[in-house]
Amino acid sequence: MTDTDRGTQRDRHSAFSLFTQQSLPACKPVLTPEWVIMTFLFIGFIFIPVGLVTLRASHSVVEIVERYDIGCVPEPFRIDKVSYIQDDSIPKNCSLSFKVPKYMKAPIYIYYQLDNYYQNHRRYVKSRSDKQLLHGQNEHGISSCQPVEVNNDRPIIPCGLIAWSLFNDTFTFIRNRAELKVNRKNIAWKSDRGHKFGKNVYPFNFQNGTLIGGGKLNPTIPLSDQEDLIVWMRTSALPSFRKLYGRIEKDLDVDDVVVVHLMNNYNTYSFGGKKKLVLSTTSWLGGKNDFLGLAYVFIGSSSVTIAVVFTLLHLLSPRH
Amino acid sequence: MEQIVSGKSQVSALSAISEAFALIIDGKSLAYALEDDMKNIFLELAIGCASVICCRSSPKQKALVTRLVKLGTGKTTLAIGDGANDVGMLQEADIGIGISGVEGMQAVMSSDVAIAQFRYLERLLLVHGHWCYRRISSMICYFFYKNIAFGFTIFLYEAYTSFSAQPAYNDWYLTLFNVFFSSLPVIAMGVFDQDVSARFCLKFPLLYQEGVQNVLFSWRRIVSWMFNGFYSAIIIFFFCSRALEQQAFNDEGKIASKDILGGTMYTCIVWVVNLQMALSISYFTLIQHIVIWGTIAFWYVFQLAYGALPASFSTDAYRVFVEALAPAPSYWFITLFVVIATLTPYFLYSAIQMRFFPMYHEMIQWIRHEGLSDDPLYCEMVRQRSIRPTTVGFTARRAASRRQ
Repeated sequence: MTDTDRGTQRDRHSAFSLFTQQSLPACKPVLTPEWVIMTFLFIGFIFIPVGLVTLRASHSVVEIVERYDIGCVPEPFRIDKVSYIQDDSIPKNCSLSFKVPKYMKAPIYIYYQLDNYYQNHRRYVKSRSDKQLLHGQNEHGISSCQPVEVNNDRPIIPCGLIAWSLFNDTFTFIRNRAELKVNRKNIAWKSDRGHKFGKNVYPFNFQNGTLIGGGKLNPTIPLSDQEDLIVWMRTSALPSFRKLYGRIEKDLDVDDVVVVHLMNNYNTYSFGGKKKLVLSTTSWLGGKNDFLGLAYVFIGSSSVTIAVVFTLLHLLSPRH
Repeated sequence: MEQIVSGKSQVSALSAISEAFALIIDGKSLAYALEDDMKNIFLELAIGCASVICCRSSPKQKALVTRLVKLGTGKTTLAIGDGANDVGMLQEADIGIGISGVEGMQAVMSSDVAIAQFRYLERLLLVHGHWCYRRISSMICYFFYKNIAFGFTIFLYEAYTSFSAQPAYNDWYLTLFNVFFSSLPVIAMGVFDQDVSARFCLKFPLLYQEGVQNVLFSWRRIVSWMFNGFYSAIIIFFFCSRALEQQAFNDEGKIASKDILGGTMYTCIVWVVNLQMALSISYFTLIQHIVIWGTIAFWYVFQLAYGALPASFSTDAYRVFVEALAPAPSYWFITLFVVIATLTPYFLYSAIQMRFFPMYHEMIQWIRHEGLSDDPLYCEMVRQRSIRPTTVGFTARRAASRRQ
């Protein structure tokens, strides 16, 4: 063998020539029935226990949902709820009470739920100025806040429709004639508080116009501490959503009667929206939603069924 | 003219018993045969024969014959030649193959494909032609699939935003989907995929018929892939949004806002689209492993990196992964569940097809897998089972060779 022959032999196996000759070492799996059956059984054996565990977590959550936007309108105003809500002279306080169905372990989370409220509408979502929220007045670029940008030629901080429509119903909870303290700190995501809302930015000229969209803000508290605003401004995904209002740090026993004094300020009547008050505990997985657990169990058991059927078909009909 | 007519009657009389005929015509007669009033009947005669030899023809005649066949039959024509006199023919045919060598480089320069020796033509057609056909058809079907899966989730979300054109995902996520998170695996498939190795392509030349019969790019296949995309999008969207409704998303009572739903759905889509690629190819080199798993890993890295940019740039994706998604068990559970649920039907379909209704290249994969590739009887049986209707030349030649 000459030198060139040996050279070409070496070349034949060099990585580059394997690449250009399309003969790279490769794994060529074939979907045999054994693999298929094993895969489906594996899926079934993983999914069914996981489904049962998540179902159990969801069932361990106690949730109380109370709709109050209809019940809180006094009888004479039920025909024209819009003018009721827009009339400042009518007192808006309201009481409702409910019984706790099961023992609820602290912390108990309080949410307000809004239905038919499209916080994910494009023009609404765009109507904010992140620069202004973080840095305050000196920043330009608030044109995205149209039409809630300036009022009487003075800029509005925080500008935009999202801030303008801030939810402003309030709730106080009484149990056995003693008030339950509601912790309203740390309800917003930490990254929002720390990095999206400025520590030196104060509300200015807010909600001063003729058209009031929602709540007012205390101008002495910086935006990074206005947790209601921060929670509200993190726009929701779907038209029916909840937002965290606060936490109750005490346990609630079964059959406790809780009375809620609330101020029915927020106008959802113009567009057929609904308002609900929700109290809920959480499990390690989150809130109450059976879908994930049921779906896991369903897919797991379907997989096992498919594996069994496939085995039978494979054994009963030989391949040749 | 009479010769052509009598020849034709001979061919049609004996075509019933697959007798193979050959036609030999030289340049001088070709000049008359290619006249307008005669060329159609000449073409009919030529098609009825197994082989046609035109000798002593000029370059112009070569091109004219090629054009006659191309236009008359409407089939794809291939011309191969090595000299300057073949240039006209090479340009006229649909595919011109030039052989580089003794007679110079003119043929090579005017051809679509250049090879070094005539015998490489077999490999070019049977191996590379088959691979190329399969790669392109798979690539196009997959491209439609992944874009439909991605875009349809956005469309479904629009139904929940009163069609206000608010996308479910962050802007940069949208832009980079086709750039980073689903492009490399397709390219790897389009460049490297081999359903059957070169050795088997040559051993089972009938595999080439898959391309001729357009089996892998039929309307049925295209529509099925699109349907797969629609179905995947529906499952991903509805399962994610149903699992992430109004209730608390993690154990601290926080709610799943738009960025969380978008992040979860996007993760599911990246996993589904890439795992679908892993399921539909049957040839894994190091490259395929790197691009498929690397793309999925890169999605997580990207979330970290993009989320770390200042909030004025990353807007609602700021720290979403680090703070909200990764620590929440429901994110991982939902991802696992949605991905498996979306891919199970396709997996089941391809398992059933592979086991009970294998296509020709899948039968060859079975042969290779069961180690029976050297068993001549078995291979012959497989070949016979998938014989497709071919022209008279092929069967006649096989029958003739068997008779010897």
